[in-house]
Formats: sequence, C-alpha cells, structure tokens
Amino acid sequence: MEAPAIEFSDVTKTYQRRFAGVRVPALSGVSFEVARGEVCAFLGPNGAGKTTSMSILMGFIYADHGRSSVFGYVPGDVRAKERIGFLPENFAFYRYLTAEKLLQFHLHLSGRRLADPGALIADLLAKVRLEGYASLKIGKYSRGMVQRLGIAQALLGNPELLVLDEPTSGLDPAGRKEVRDLILALKAEGKTIFLSSHILSEVEQICDRVIIIDRGHLVRAGGLQEMLAEGNRVEIVVDQLPEGLELAVTECGALVDREGKRVRITADTSQKRALAEMLWAGGCDIVSFTPMKNSLEETFLKLVGKGGAE
Amino acid sequence: MKVRTIALSTFGSFLRNKVIILFCSLFVCIVLLMMSPLLEYKSMTAAANAQQMQGFVLNEVAMVMSMVSGFGSLLAAWAAADSVAGEMKSGTILAVMARPLPRWQFLAGKYLGVLMLMGVYVIAMLGVTFLLAWLGGQRFHTSLWVLLVYPMVRYAIWAAISMFLVTLLHPVVVMGVVIVLATLIQIFGSASSHIPRWVRLPVHLILPLTNLLSEERFLTITRASLKPYPWTNHLTALAYGLDYALACFLLAVLVFQSRSLSRD
Repeated sequence: MEAPAIEFSDVTKTYQRRFAGVRVPALSGVSFEVARGEVCAFLGPNGAGKTTSMSILMGFIYADHGRSSVFGYVPGDVRAKERIGFLPENFAFYRYLTAEKLLQFHLHLSGRRLADPGALIADLLAKVRLEGYASLKIGKYSRGMVQRLGIAQALLGNPELLVLDEPTSGLDPAGRKEVRDLILALKAEGKTIFLSSHILSEVEQICDRVIIIDRGHLVRAGGLQEMLAEGNRVEIVVDQLPEGLELAVTECGALVDREGKRVRITADTSQKRALAEMLWAGGCDIVSFTPMKNSLEETFLKLVGKGGAE
Repeated sequence: MKVRTIALSTFGSFLRNKVIILFCSLFVCIVLLMMSPLLEYKSMTAAANAQQMQGFVLNEVAMVMSMVSGFGSLLAAWAAADSVAGEMKSGTILAVMARPLPRWQFLAGKYLGVLMLMGVYVIAMLGVTFLLAWLGGQRFHTSLWVLLVYPMVRYAIWAAISMFLVTLLHPVVVMGVVIVLATLIQIFGSASSHIPRWVRLPVHLILPLTNLLSEERFLTITRASLKPYPWTNHLTALAYGLDYALACFLLAVLVFQSRSLSRD
C-alpha cells in the first residue's frame, strides 16, 4: 500500500527553555494524515502549533514522542525532501542576490539537473509574475514580491508535495487570487498541498480537507464539504406570512426577514418540522426549504473560540 | 556539488559583510602605519648601516606577522560563528535546509566557505610580509608553503572550534570563549614550566597547541630564513592540527544534527 503523503501519529512536542526551566507544550498527541493528491488546510489560531507541526514535518525540529512520516520516510530524510517544496512563514532570503541567482542557488541545492536551467527559472518567474524583476536585487523587492519569489523557489524541484506556511501573507487581493489560481492549477496537476492560512474564505475555495488544531491539540480533521454541511439551521422561504403567524414563528426561535414579496425564515434544525407544519396549516405556500451550510469561519470559531481567525 | 554551492554562497556573503570590510580596512591601515616609519627609516639610514637596517626591517615584519596572524585567528572564529548563526538569525536556513541537503553538508559548505576566506587572508598576509621586506630592501630565503600552510591549519582549528561552539551557544559568547581559549594557550605556552604538571597535562590535551603550528617555529625571522627541520616534524605538526580541526568539526556536525533549526 502507498504511504500517505503526510502522517502524524500521536506527535507531542514541548519546548524547554534552557536554564529557566520553563516548559511550553506546543503539540499534545496530534494525529492526522494527508493523502496524496489532496489539498489540505492546516488551521488554528496563532500559537496553536501549526508552524511547530510544519517544522517537524520538514525535519527542522524533532518531536518528543510519536511518529511522523513524509511519503513513508522520516521527516528530514533527503529522499523525502527531494519530493517537497517548502515555503516558510515570512520567507527570508539573501538580500544581496537577484531573484535569478537565488533560484539558481536553490536549483543547485535541489540536485535537479536540467539541460536549460535558465528556461525553468524564467518560466517560474513568469508564473509568479516576477519576469521583469529577475535581475533586481531581492533587497529592493516589496513584501508581496518576496512572497511570490518564495512560492517560485518552492516549485523549483517540481515537488510532489507542497508545504506552504501562509502562502498569501503579504499579498494584495490580486496577488492572493493569483496564488489561489496557482494552487488550483497545481491541484489539477495532482500535487499534494498542505497549507496553513488565516484567510478562511480562501481555504474554502481551494481545499479538500481541513485540519484544525488549537493549543497543541487536534480539534477536528475532515473533508471540507462535510464540515460545512454540518450546519444546524434551515432556511424556509414562503410567499406570505400573516402577522399572527409571524408571532408564533418567532416564538419558536426563528428569525423572520421580509424581502419584497417573499419572507425568509431561518430557524434551528430541531424546529424545522414544527415550523413547516405551522406554516402549512396557516395557509402559507413554502417556496423553498434549504438546510443552511456553515461558513468555514463559523465552524472554525465554534471549534476554537473567538479570536482565532482574521 | 551541494557543499560547493553552500561554500561559494558563504564566501560571497563574507565579501559583502560589513564586519569583514571593516576588518580589511583595519588591515590596510596597519600596513600603511607600518610602511611609513619603514620608508622614513630607509631614507635616513646610510648604506653603511645595512646591518642596522636589516634588523629594523625584520623586527617590523615579525611584529606585523604576529599581529596579523592573531587577527586572523579571531577572523576565522568570528566568520565561522557568524556563517551559521547569521543563517539562523535571518531565517534563511529554513529554505536552504528544506532542500535535499543533509545537515553535515550544510556545515561542511559553511566550513569550506570560511576556509576560502582565510585562504584569501593568508595570501594577503603573505603579500604584506613580502611587501614590507621588499620596501626595507630585504629578501626572505624561505619556502612559501610554510607561510601558507601553517596559518591555514591554525585558522582551520579556530574555525572548527568556533563552529562547534556556535551549535550550542550565542555567537557573542562563542567569541568570548575563543578569546579565553587563545589567552589560555598563550599562558600555557609561555609559562608552562611554572604550572603544576597535573594542571598542565589535561590542559595540553584539551587545548589546541597552536604554538606548535606557528610558522615562526620554523622561520628564523631575524635572518629571514627557514630553519632546517626534518619533514617528519612538519608532517606530525600538520597532522596534529588537521586532526584537531577535524575532531572539532565532527563534534559540530554531531551537535548540529540534533539541534532545532528555527528563526532565532
């Protein structure tokens, strides 16, 4: 059987401050899997343990307990890293290099041998809309340009798995859309993408699965659609609602919103049968009856509490 | 290939490093300061005082050599510490280590980059020595390799010690430790007869015997010639130096293998 792209099993990590004796738990028994070809969002409020998890995944730090693997290899194994493209949070660079030189440097380190490396570099720079800035020193780039260059370097080795820590951070709305489109194009190519982001509306548009952690604990992992479909409200649209009936409806805890000729009623799922019968008996014509989907933001806030998402 | 890429990048970053540029400026200032009394003295001294002139020139060369050589040890230690700590501080290490690059290769590349810098430094040091001697009308009757290889091995030791220490400590602390070690070596080197054997022996075993690797051991500076030493003496001294540097470098690799890589 093929190993999953990423596997975390009961991973625990505690940071210890030398001499001070302070122990800060970062991850506590976190387990999850990311299958090949999936686009998976890794969500959590600041300090939840996202960057720690990604660092363990990349072999930068070691877990205290538990097991983790990338394509079946121990994190940090050269064979695993040959298949990963990584964009760190706040991508740092050698400021004195040009984009072209930096990509050449990373191409050498990736060990990829090409007949025409210049063509690949030009192609990648065009992909992230930096084609006119290839010979400009990176120190002169804006934050958004640096982020785009970071994405280009992550794509250099034609990786099977992309680990992106906040890929749209620092980008303007147009830049965000470009990155989103790029991720969707990579998804279409069959790449596995594991990304963290605070912009949940974006995650909703591009991801298949969502993993949510909070204070080092796994809160939820599952398919995006099933997570969104877990809404506990229904929306009933009727052609008219007499005032006497409106009172009875609101007493059931429903919200009534009159929009022109139609009336929109939203209520808890537990009240749907009682409401439908009441409306029917009251002579209202039910135009539509729809279970309401939660937004990812609502689900996220419900799971981790307020203050988690931007 | 990957080690070479890291080494060249490290060397390139040294050439743009403000501290190195300051260091080189200081180097040039020292040379200019040494040159002016030499030229003045030369113009004042009559041909009859050739003996006196030779003594003056060679003393000056000896002084410059020991000063610049001491500076070199500090430069090697600082460059090695900064090359690793700088990557950690800026966070550039994350993108580099995300590449299929074993940690030892990263450290080896950094170490080679430092040695490349020190190679340039040794050549410059040698150039200055010969320039001063030439200005004073003197010639060195010595093999060049001694003046090139011995300082390089000495700097390789200091770079390896510093690289090992920086995997554990802050670079400023590393420089403090290096200065303390260099001072201890001087104390144990010059006044070892006054120190009890039970102190002297373990210290000699632990500290690098950089005095043993001093080119001045072979060079009769007052006669500007090389002392006739058997090749076995050179071989054992250099083997000891390289062995010490290798041991320190391997310790650095061992510690670096298990340390966390993050933005400091």
